[in-house]
Amino acid sequence: MSETVIRVGRSAPVLRSFADYLDGEQALVQRVELEIVETVRGPELVIRPPEAPEVRWPLDDIRVVPDQAGKDVLMLRLADDPVSRLLVSDEEARAIIRARCPNLHQRPPVKKRARLLAWSLGAVASVGLIIFVLVPLLSDRLAVFLPPEGEKALGDVTFEQIRTALSDNEFLPVAVCQGRSGDRALAVMQARLQGKLDLPYPVSLSVLDHKMVNAFTLPGGRVILFRGLIDAAETPDEVAAVLAHEVGHVVNRDPTRSALRSAGSIGVLGLLFGDFAGGTVVLFLLNRLIDATYSQDAEAAADAFAHQALADAGVPPSALATMFERLLEKGGDADGIVAHFQAHPKLGDRIRAARQADRLLEAPASPVLNDVQWKALQGICR
Amino acid sequence: MASVLETEYVGRRRPLFRLALVSSLLTVLTLGIYRFWMKTRLRRFYWSSIRPGGQPLEYVGEPMEKLLGFLIAVVFLAFYIGIVNLLLMFVSFSFFNTNLWAYALSFVGIVPIIFYARYRARRYILARTRWRGIRFGMDQGAWSYAWRALVHWLVTILSLGLLWPRMTFWLEKYRTDRTWFGSEKMQQGGRWQMLYRPYLVFLAGLVTVAIGGVVTFQGNVVAGGGLIVFGVLLTGYGLVHYRVHAFRLMTNTKNIGGIGFRSRPRPWRVLRVYSMGYGLAVLAIVALLTGLGVLFYMAILGGQPVGEDVDLTLIGDNVPWWVNTVFAMVTYFSLFILWGVLTHVLVTLPLARHYAETLEITAPAGLSGIKQRHRDDMEHAEGFAEALDVGAAI
Repeated sequence: MSETVIRVGRSAPVLRSFADYLDGEQALVQRVELEIVETVRGPELVIRPPEAPEVRWPLDDIRVVPDQAGKDVLMLRLADDPVSRLLVSDEEARAIIRARCPNLHQRPPVKKRARLLAWSLGAVASVGLIIFVLVPLLSDRLAVFLPPEGEKALGDVTFEQIRTALSDNEFLPVAVCQGRSGDRALAVMQARLQGKLDLPYPVSLSVLDHKMVNAFTLPGGRVILFRGLIDAAETPDEVAAVLAHEVGHVVNRDPTRSALRSAGSIGVLGLLFGDFAGGTVVLFLLNRLIDATYSQDAEAAADAFAHQALADAGVPPSALATMFERLLEKGGDADGIVAHFQAHPKLGDRIRAARQADRLLEAPASPVLNDVQWKALQGICR
Repeated sequence: MASVLETEYVGRRRPLFRLALVSSLLTVLTLGIYRFWMKTRLRRFYWSSIRPGGQPLEYVGEPMEKLLGFLIAVVFLAFYIGIVNLLLMFVSFSFFNTNLWAYALSFVGIVPIIFYARYRARRYILARTRWRGIRFGMDQGAWSYAWRALVHWLVTILSLGLLWPRMTFWLEKYRTDRTWFGSEKMQQGGRWQMLYRPYLVFLAGLVTVAIGGVVTFQGNVVAGGGLIVFGVLLTGYGLVHYRVHAFRLMTNTKNIGGIGFRSRPRPWRVLRVYSMGYGLAVLAIVALLTGLGVLFYMAILGGQPVGEDVDLTLIGDNVPWWVNTVFAMVTYFSLFILWGVLTHVLVTLPLARHYAETLEITAPAGLSGIKQRHRDDMEHAEGFAEALDVGAAI
């Protein structure tokens, strides 16, 4: 009596076909016969080369090689065999293999996981060390040694870049305001504040015809006030307070340090992000973020300098607080993510500190400009 | 076996478009990390499109090894780029009162590393390329290559470009003579002088521009201007002419264990791919910008016509800042993604197809003797090239 194997359910499709086989040892393409057989270990694909012993691939271990351009060929490999390949072009055979191999699209496990992790940490540590420790340390040390002419050149280059960047018209940089009587009023204010201060180089002060309520300092003692700031101020003392703060940056050489720092850190960031979608915007934002974290201390130091300088000049330091309050009304304090992109620490704290600084005043305060001079300053851009 | 193996090209634009689009989107969304996967997947596609003798090339590089190589390169290069750039900026402003010297010196310092990285990238790519199941490979020699490349460039510059073909030949020979297919080593034959004839068109273009300059200077502006325009066009064509024929001549004089090559790419065809491809890509970008502009205009002004009562400087003032930011980001990234995807579909693929379809392998009987070679581990992968952005075109 002969034994009969009785299958339950739909019978599996029979595969009998031919394919190209690459054994990964010689540069020969072997035309092989394919067959799927059922064994006790599970179904297997039998590959029979014409002149070599047959090879058996368990269906569970067969993988398809991904992202192939030609859809007329199915390229198969064995999970743990890096070299041999089977190229099936017969349409029916491809359909059967797709239907019967359950793990065709399983990805190979990640090799060298530990090394990958170690070098990731290494890269993060090295970039962090360079951007947050070495570059700031080095630029703080070097800024002092940069000759004043070099610093001036650095400031001039940046000044022109900023004038162009702020303008709506690429060919027409934002105008520098020069009203004779206005300039004279500025000079009076500057002389009163500077007094007998020991500055690395003279402060050169300009007003830009732009509506922004802001002021900034560039390397080489170049301080820039925006027209918007003068318009927003209600007394000359408030403008003087901002000026004193900026002179604080000059004394501490903050802009020079910051310029050297971005020379170092922007290159490293570029290295990290590569040509990812051009990357320029991302680089710019990241550099702002890093710069902002450096500058929190610099801002606090410039405030402290301003408090003392204002008190020495007989101007109440609380004028700075008044100016900050106007800023708050105008834009509101920035919280969360936005705060990180702004160089200035929380305004509330700085307002409190400026109010308390009024006790530094030794003589009674007097306005920094008289009414005529103040009018002249307000009209400097007209 | 047939006496000549022809090369088939099976890559099509539509699947490449989909692959490039999806992977660039993922690259942007992952802040650039997916770029290692993108590169790998695109290479798998491009490699498998090329079928010399009906058998596809296979690219077996892994994204993870690229990431690892990149991380290793970052550890070393971050120090160099951060500290050295800072010092150069300092020195440049201290002594020259300008930052130009810093940029120039920084570039000179990085040049040898760029050549080094190029050789390493080629070695990595060859080590991860297979045909008929057999690995390609390349011997070590990146520093030696960087040194030679520096000297060749110096000689080329000193000769005012006249010795450019000599550099092309010797650098390609250096790379080819270290290339393996399985157990067989490749050899570069020929002489550098053979590249000179195709180079003459380029030189003629330069000479025409110079003559045009002289004629203009002497007062005949119309004739001089005409000569300059003609000369610039001729120089542009001459560059393509030289590169295509140099590739052809260098390929035809390569051999690997008696197996040879016959390549017949056509400069006009390559020029057409470049001009049509980039032209269409620019058109698409302009169309996208116009579309986005109309969209923005509709959203902000509600479609009302721009009359005299609308103050253009106030546009944007009544829109929350984040709307502007998001809109700017979306525009920026869609432009870059679109440009990248279109250059793949309209330039890289047609170029690859042309070079593949005009390539034949002669005397392929020698293939039967070729055996497998060991795997080149190359832990650094193409990390330096990736970090410095000087990798292969793909």
